[in-house]
Parts: sequence; structure tokens; C-alpha cells
Amino acid sequence: MTPTEPATRPGGPQAAAVRPPLPVKMVVAGGFGVGKTTAVGSISEIEPLTTEAAITEVAAGVDDLSHTPRKTTTTVAMDFGCITIDPTLKLYLFGTPGQERFGFMWDDIVEGAVGGLVIVDTRRLDDCYAAVDYFEHRQIPFAVAVNAFDGKVEHSLDEVRWALDVNDRVPVLVFDARERGSVRDALLVVLEQALARSEA
Amino acid sequence: MADGGTPPGADGTGPDPVGPAPAVRPFLVTAGRVAPSASDRTMPVETQVVATAEGLAELDGLAFEQHDIVAACRRPQSIAEIAARLRLHLNVVRILAEDLRAAGQLTVHVPDTGATHDASVLRKLIEGLRAIPDSRGVLRDTD
Repeated sequence: MTPTEPATRPGGPQAAAVRPPLPVKMVVAGGFGVGKTTAVGSISEIEPLTTEAAITEVAAGVDDLSHTPRKTTTTVAMDFGCITIDPTLKLYLFGTPGQERFGFMWDDIVEGAVGGLVIVDTRRLDDCYAAVDYFEHRQIPFAVAVNAFDGKVEHSLDEVRWALDVNDRVPVLVFDARERGSVRDALLVVLEQALARSEA
Repeated sequence: MADGGTPPGADGTGPDPVGPAPAVRPFLVTAGRVAPSASDRTMPVETQVVATAEGLAELDGLAFEQHDIVAACRRPQSIAEIAARLRLHLNVVRILAEDLRAAGQLTVHVPDTGATHDASVLRKLIEGLRAIPDSRGVLRDTD
């Protein structure tokens, strides 16, 4: 467990001047070009930021000068934004690459998330299988949001649900990643799921 | 700084990167460490970090990345924001934040999963989100 500062440290020289908000995280997943960054940017109060969420796997013995450690480094861009709810509460939205080969980095990003939104392009449904599987396995509340490119969806929601084979309780909806209100409503569907689970 | 962990091909003397940080060089500033040593668990990307009064007072004595991180944390920041704004690796920020915390220059607030998943917090989030107008400035019907 990473040491956490106590809530108060009366009179201590290390007392933080500012109390940070509680950060709540949601994950926006899906294949490349499906509208993750667009969705985050539509509702974030800041321009989406990008960080290199690199994973470096190092064999034991980093400090052993006689052996060059075997490293494999994969660098993946991760876009994110945030919404300040009030001074004590801030929502973070992290867009994560949805491809199967990036599955290993999801734990790093998804750890502690209250829910996920899986964005789907009906022309490339299979791009989202890995994300759907991941949220199902980790039992993280999520919804499937079909991005209506140019207002058009190529398959009905029933077809999408059938193709993805998601549980009946998983909401499948259509949204427009470019519209703030539409993204907000999709996130609300996920949060309602999370709330229902926390109250169950 | 010891560079026992310098990956092959790392070039610590090159010009500052203009684009996103290259994959290997940033770990020079952590002496090759790729994970914070004092923790069993990785800091979540949304972990909040704030400069202490002590850290800000000692700012002039801090070098490079350490200086930039403490300076950036006058207001609370997530480690993801620090990484993005300073063009540092997320894992570099994790390591340096842990170092700076140990030195008393930062406070690190790892979110408590019990708190973030609490029904009252989720309700507050839902209320807050509902209050966001859509692009046409129309409030969502809260039925």
C-alpha cells in the first residue's frame, strides 16, 4: 500500500496547504478511432491531456551491473480529462486503448475505477470485445455506447447486444461522442449502474 | 546520480525532447528504478499530489524534474496530469512523487476505493453531472 498522508496532521510542518478533491475515475474504452478522445474532450473542463502510459517490464536484478536487465517497453498514449464536481470531488475520465494487446496496461489504469464506458463503432464491432470481456471479468459496472457517426448506426441495438453477447443488465445505448449532453447522459447511465451496485 | 539502470541506447545528453518523452531516457532521473520501492501497490493514475509549504520553500534547491513536480503541485494535481504537463513517464512521476513525499516536499493522496465507490459519493457525482448543460445549454430533465 502506498503510504497515504493522514487527513490531518495538526501543526506538522508537512501539512498540505490545500486539501485535494477526492478523485473518482471512469474509464472510456474502445478501439482506435472510435471516439474515445472526442467523447472525453466533449465533456472535460480541460483540453484532453495525453500521457505516455508506458509499461516497462524488467527482469530481476536491475542493480546488477554485470547484467544488462532484459526490458520490454511498450508506450501507449492515454488521453484523459476531468470534471470538477465541487471542491471536494473531481471526476477523471481516462481513455484507454482497447486492443487486446494492451490488456496488460488496463490494470494500471482501471484500478479503482467506478465504471467504464465501452465505445463501439458498429462497422468494427470486434474492436471492443477485449474491453467488454475485461469489464465483465473484473465485474466493473459498464455500459456499451454505440457512437453514431454522422448520426447513423449500421446495426440495431439488439443486433449489437446479440453480437457482443453482453449480460441483459448491461445497458447498450446510442450516443454521439461530439455532443456534450450525449456524453454526459452515457456517463450517467454508467454511474447509475455503479450506484445500483453499491446499494445492492 | 547513479545510472546503473541506464538502458542500452539511452542518451542523457541529448537535447530536450520536443514531442512526447522517449521511452528510455526518463528513467535516468529515477536512477533506473521503474517502480516505487516503498509501496506494494502502484499509485492509481488519479492519485492527488500537493506541494507542502516545506517543498515550496525548498523549491530553489530542487533540481530539474523534482523542481518541476513540486512547482506544478501548488494546486492539487493527479499524477496523470503531472506526467502529461511535464512530459514525463507516468512511472517516473510515481517514483519521484514517492521520493518527494518521503522528503516531506509533497503530500500524496491515494484515493480510497471504499470512499470513491460509496453510494453518497456516486449520488453526488450523478447530481453534479446532471447539472452540466448540453451543448445547446439545455439542462437535462432530471425526471
